Amino acid sequence: MNQEKYNSTAITLHWLVALLIVIAFSVGHYMADLDLSPWKLKVFAWHKWMGVTIFALVLFRIVWRFTHTAPALPAAMSDLMKRLSGVAHLAIYLLMLAIPLTGWLHSSAAGVTVVYFNALTIPDLVGKDKALAHLFQEIHETLNWALLGLVMLHVAAALKHQLVDRDNLLNRMRW
Amino acid sequence: MKNAGLYLALAVSVFLPLHEVVAGGIVADKSSITFVGKQMGAPVEGRFTRFDADIAFNPAKLAQSHALITIDLNSIDLASDESESEIKGKSWFNAAAFPKAVFESTAIRAMGGDRFEVNGRLSIKGITRDIVVPVQFRTVAGAQTAEGRLEIHRSDFKVGEGVWADPDSVAESVQVRFKVTLKP
Repeated sequence: MNQEKYNSTAITLHWLVALLIVIAFSVGHYMADLDLSPWKLKVFAWHKWMGVTIFALVLFRIVWRFTHTAPALPAAMSDLMKRLSGVAHLAIYLLMLAIPLTGWLHSSAAGVTVVYFNALTIPDLVGKDKALAHLFQEIHETLNWALLGLVMLHVAAALKHQLVDRDNLLNRMRW
Repeated sequence: MKNAGLYLALAVSVFLPLHEVVAGGIVADKSSITFVGKQMGAPVEGRFTRFDADIAFNPAKLAQSHALITIDLNSIDLASDESESEIKGKSWFNAAAFPKAVFESTAIRAMGGDRFEVNGRLSIKGITRDIVVPVQFRTVAGAQTAEGRLEIHRSDFKVGEGVWADPDSVAESVQVRFKVTLKP
């Protein structure tokens, strides 16, 4: 049984980003159907600020991941399963970058500059273009459903390790 | 009346020969009217795609020079279809009742070099206000251009009423930028 753990920074970042993604996803889903109102503008701004926060934390996580060794996977896992796990984690990382990025592109193309917490202006990535804005919005939404699918797979896999394989894999991500 | 001199100049201009300062339209694809507002502290860009202008400008004959600019408010290009239909609605432009914004100059003053100050009346949503617009007139490759920017306070024209009056949500100040190329 593998009792080696991630370090506390990696563990904190994992759960913090997970929490922020759940909130940003829910807020994003809620705000999409709102009628235009001052409240909607507020919620959009909060959603964008969460996205910027997640993007920055994910960049930091990636740097941390490359500069620290992750604990080895259980020896009982087949090579195929280890490889699939690696692919799934890579896909989650890519989506955690691509989703805020497409949101940022959408906002830029819509002609709405993102100002983080009303203080820090995030530069526009593209000029105003309504057709492009619509495209980025579609991509942003589609990638979110893909992330939801992968997160469900991630949770299901963790539960399978814990309850079926009983290899206490969850312990690696526990404080 | 503080503008008496300007009105006198206009009145006099009626009796002067006008053939040296002929009003003309603009070259649409070399002209733009854009604006930047702020929502939740973040800059939001937009533009108008249809507008027309009758501009007669001669720096040597300012009293006869004149500008009439008409903007089709239904041609607004904003962040989304949703925000465009909202801004055409009653709380904002009420474009069904007031489809056009109109600026008509009353006097033009030379400020040195290619800079001029255009006094005039801006009408939006049935409200007319006197404004002063700094304009730079230039001749580029034989074509005359006029460009400048001005700040509009949206509440002066009741643009954004009711729940939208709150400046914390959508700021009071809107920066308008224009560049028009006059027809030769």
